[in-house]
Amino acid sequence: MLKLRNVHTDIGGMQIIHNVSMEISQGEFVALLGSNGAGKTTLFRTIAGVLKPNSGTIEFNGVEIHRMPVHKIVGLGLVLCPQGRQLFPQLSVEKNLLMGAYPMRKDKMRMQKNLDRVYSLFPILKERSNQQAGTFSGGEQQMLAIARALMSDPQMLLLDEPSLGLAPLIVKQMADTISEINKELDTTIFLSEQNANMALNITDRGYVLENGACVLSGESSQLQDDESVRKAYIGA
Amino acid sequence: MELFLQQVFNGIMFGSTYAIVALGLTLVMGILNIPNFAHGHLYMLGGYLLFFFAITLGLGYWAGLVMAVIAMAVVGMIMERIVYRPLNEQPHINAFIAAVGSLLFLESFAMVVWGAQGLRVENPYPQMIDFMGVTMSVQRLLVIIGAIVLILGLHFFMKKTIAGATIEAVAQNREGAMLTGINVNRVSSMTFAISAATAAVAASLISPIFMLSPAMGAILGMKAFIIVILGGMGSIPGAIVGGYLLGLIEALGGGYISADYKDVFAFGALILILAIKPTGLFGKGEV
Ligand SMILES: Nc1ncnc2c1ncn2[C@@H]1O[C@H](COP(=O)(O)OP(=O)(O)OP(=O)(O)O)[C@@H](O)[C@H]1O
Ligand SMILES: [Mg+2]
Repeated sequence: MLKLRNVHTDIGGMQIIHNVSMEISQGEFVALLGSNGAGKTTLFRTIAGVLKPNSGTIEFNGVEIHRMPVHKIVGLGLVLCPQGRQLFPQLSVEKNLLMGAYPMRKDKMRMQKNLDRVYSLFPILKERSNQQAGTFSGGEQQMLAIARALMSDPQMLLLDEPSLGLAPLIVKQMADTISEINKELDTTIFLSEQNANMALNITDRGYVLENGACVLSGESSQLQDDESVRKAYIGA
Repeated sequence: MELFLQQVFNGIMFGSTYAIVALGLTLVMGILNIPNFAHGHLYMLGGYLLFFFAITLGLGYWAGLVMAVIAMAVVGMIMERIVYRPLNEQPHINAFIAAVGSLLFLESFAMVVWGAQGLRVENPYPQMIDFMGVTMSVQRLLVIIGAIVLILGLHFFMKKTIAGATIEAVAQNREGAMLTGINVNRVSSMTFAISAATAAVAASLISPIFMLSPAMGAILGMKAFIIVILGGMGSIPGAIVGGYLLGLIEALGGGYISADYKDVFAFGALILILAIKPTGLFGKGEV
């Protein structure tokens, strides 16, 4: 479904992503592990089209997307839920969600169906549908960001560090919800995390990124047992 | 009392123009993150285009107004496309310079095509109405009503339609908007079209009352900028309230103290309000 071949990305003249190749199939749930500054966000922003790779190719369902504008990539069903959430702080929760359904704005029925679906996934958003997004707590904003990304019914979701800055109990809930999205909604998920323990518990397999290069990949259970991964990311 | 009411009426009429122009400036500021300093000049060009369509081509006032508004929407889109869009990823100072360049261009353009001396659009509604001792020309009343209709229409568009909501979304988080699938360039283009078109409405409504001159854009642009600061940078209600407030301050100050000091009152009010509330009337957080 998603195929990266020898992707290099520069920011401000500095090469941040080096020669990354990876492939993710329909329905998979894959982790992208890496510590602070490893390049997870930069890689996701490159896949989503916010940044353009300097070389290499990115294909989504057989279509080359690495030169496409972001909104076209979203239209193909590949959606990034960004680090930092990037919500519309002065719009209501419901307006934020409706903007998430922008690619299907002409199909009011489907919009409503998706709205009901994310409300049942995150009941708190329904209770607070008229509240301004900017007044939400970190955990609630993260839920809203995921819900907004789901509003266009994506085939594949890139989730950039959804657990960042959340209390441990909330992280647990968040992990359950993300698994549910993968299993119940049949959405392919690529999840970036520093919290390797959480990520490897719920994903099928993973890639490890270090200094912008992919240094390791494998089944999540294997990675969990891998000595170097344990040392670097699990701390045990 | 009658002088007071007369001045309030005039203040609301000036305020109507200010509110519309400041509103257009605010909308585009959300997209560009800087004020489009050429906005007052779009207003000026709108007035001349009304003259061109209504008088020169002889289409009459209303058809001229419609044509001027459409033509200005196109001018707004062209300005976005060739002046601002290429500077998107560049430092803000570049857009500042481009804005100054555009306003100089527009003013010289009007000067060359229509000349430096004032032009008059004949008043289509010179009749007077007397109401509670206040004399008002029908055209002045039309300015007030037109502004209200435009503001309500724009409010409905922004709050009730998806296209309108995209303008707010892009202003609040440009990258967030892209990631929801919004074509940010198209939203910028639409916002410039609306902004320039509303400036043309304001100019078309008021040009039968005042002479057109190439310099009128600079003065109004400066005032709109004051209003936007006064109202709290980027706040739409702030721009509207600020517009009417400035109109009233000028009219009352001009009527009771001296018309020569009209602009002193405007700037005085700005300094006073910012001293009391540094973020402006409706400002949130930092300016
Ligand atoms: N806009 C930028 N300008 C300059 N350097 C940048 C920029 N964005 C990222 N970088 C650099 O790129 C490298 C990778 O950053 P990135 O944000 O992709 O890491 P990350 O793995 O997402 O980290 P985190 O877990 O902290 O979110 C870092 O060294 C960072 O300093
Ligand atoms: Mg990151």
